[in-house]
Amino acid sequence: MSLSAHDYMNLDEGWIDRRIFWEQAIYDRELERVFARSWLFVAHESQLAKPGDFLTTYMGEDAVIVSRAADRSIKVVLNSCPHRGNRVCFSDSGTTRSFVCNYHGWAFGLDGALKGMPEEHLYEATPGFDKKDWGLKPARVAAYKGLVFATFAEDAPSLDDYLGDFRWYLDAVLDAEEGGTEFLPGVTRSVMNCNWKFPADNFVGDIYHALWTHLGGAQPTLARHGGVIIDNEHSYQVSVNGHGWEFGTNMIGNAATMGDREILRYMKSRADAIEARLGTFRKNMWGSVASSTVFPNFAFLPGYFSFRVFHPKGPHKTELHAWTLVSASMPEDIKDRFRRGTMRTFSPGGILEMDDGENWEHSTQANAGHVTRQQRLCYGLAPKRAEGSGDLPGIVHRGQISDANQRAFYRRWAEMMEAKSWADLPLAPVSQSPVTAVAS
Amino acid sequence: MTSALLSPESQDARHAAQSLLTPWAQGPAVADDLLLKIERFLRLEARLLDQELYRQWYDLLADDLFYWMPLRENRQRRDKRNEITPASVAFFDERKADIDLRLQRLESGMAWAEDPPTRHVYAITNVEAFETETADEFETHSVFTLYRNRSEHDDSTLMGRRRDLLRRVEGGFQIARRLILLPQAVLKTKNLSVFF
Repeated sequence: MSLSAHDYMNLDEGWIDRRIFWEQAIYDRELERVFARSWLFVAHESQLAKPGDFLTTYMGEDAVIVSRAADRSIKVVLNSCPHRGNRVCFSDSGTTRSFVCNYHGWAFGLDGALKGMPEEHLYEATPGFDKKDWGLKPARVAAYKGLVFATFAEDAPSLDDYLGDFRWYLDAVLDAEEGGTEFLPGVTRSVMNCNWKFPADNFVGDIYHALWTHLGGAQPTLARHGGVIIDNEHSYQVSVNGHGWEFGTNMIGNAATMGDREILRYMKSRADAIEARLGTFRKNMWGSVASSTVFPNFAFLPGYFSFRVFHPKGPHKTELHAWTLVSASMPEDIKDRFRRGTMRTFSPGGILEMDDGENWEHSTQANAGHVTRQQRLCYGLAPKRAEGSGDLPGIVHRGQISDANQRAFYRRWAEMMEAKSWADLPLAPVSQSPVTAVAS
Repeated sequence: MTSALLSPESQDARHAAQSLLTPWAQGPAVADDLLLKIERFLRLEARLLDQELYRQWYDLLADDLFYWMPLRENRQRRDKRNEITPASVAFFDERKADIDLRLQRLESGMAWAEDPPTRHVYAITNVEAFETETADEFETHSVFTLYRNRSEHDDSTLMGRRRDLLRRVEGGFQIARRLILLPQAVLKTKNLSVFF
């Protein structure tokens, strides 16, 4: 790519060049500069309960194995044998002590170390051969309140600095209740013929689409309450290092669309305890009308507590992996209601999600047209107003309907595409003391 | 998840799910004339879905319906865990009221992903039916092929197996339980805006 990434957008003027959703060369650079460099979500700790437990996933297009080692630390290694490159693990999950490549039988420990191979003596005549040099490549691993992230960038900042003050907001879904969170069993996986950035930018700050895309899906549960209503006065967009969250402040708005009164009754019963734990402001964020993306491709929906990754599979293809998160302390019946509630709304057969994939596919495929591709996309919607000097961390805008978070997402994207190393990448300062009191 | 802590309705669903996972085809095969009636019923059902006559299809569902399409996972053969469990997230895990909710989306006239409509073709084959311990309830197996086409190049074929519990009622049958097994671990189509 000869052009600078900044030539593909002018976020002050509010436009983005469609070629970033289409061209192979840009996509290839994203794999190198965005995905191989970012902290990427790989697992929830609850999926790896005991030593030997593993699951397989992707970091960018790199297949990886995530496992719990004997010392209970979590390891992430490339799922590719350094001998001929074959995949060493074909299971989605399981429990094991080692991974053995099907091709020549090279065997690796959970930490990726090469433990041995059939007829090992054959290598005695090979000068300098040392098994230590031929393990599965490990990634750096770190966790935040149950969510496990990994990166292959040795120069990346710590996960805490990468998330920065976004952690304060994340606590509204990760630390609302005593005892932490867990993923319910089962990951929903599906393929969409769209560029990965369309779902990522949708979740980072696009509630606007709900007023039209989801009219049909919201009809069965919301029609009797007046349909899809967004309160643009009592709502926000916040952004930190490209991560973004748009949210209302009524605590249960998203959850209400699942149409399960028992879930709403439970959530209301928890309000006082969550308020005592997180304060009024974040209590109101817990299940409100909201969506969020942790840069670049990890997203979630408060209220449904659907957590998902948009795995890139080429410039025009995305694989969606999604889980349901619950508080470990929730009654079993409430957990089961969330399991069915997220399925009914935000899963490939869900009444709300079904109308999303359709949009993103055609937003992508339209760019096959040369002339079409030359017309810029409008990302100019201004927020109701900036909240410059408030107590809330990060870049804060009043009103959840705007393109502010999406512009911040693409600003971060362009910075990463341009930067030669992490030394060139700015990071928002991390508050020295956690924000404790914020007015609602 | 301990099912004892679930609501009575959810416990019923777990029971129904377990029954759909128990060994298949243990009872005696039904008589040929009954098999023919069951095949006719399954063809009727497929045609109603082809033609989007969803409310007529809905009337074929029993009030105590349990309708389930679990996720599939790649596991090593030595892995002793059950691949399919009722406690897992699923694609469909429905009672009759949930199906009604889905139909209300379609009937809203604002389900944009279905406007213009998808063209469906259902083929139902490999039909077998067996007696159960309950008279008038039959364990029925079939294979479905669902071809979908929409717009210009929007196109998918979903194929899989169903295990149903059909109940004989006046004038025909009702679907009391349905297990849908799709072989895809990663769903290779953008949505499941369909019924099986």
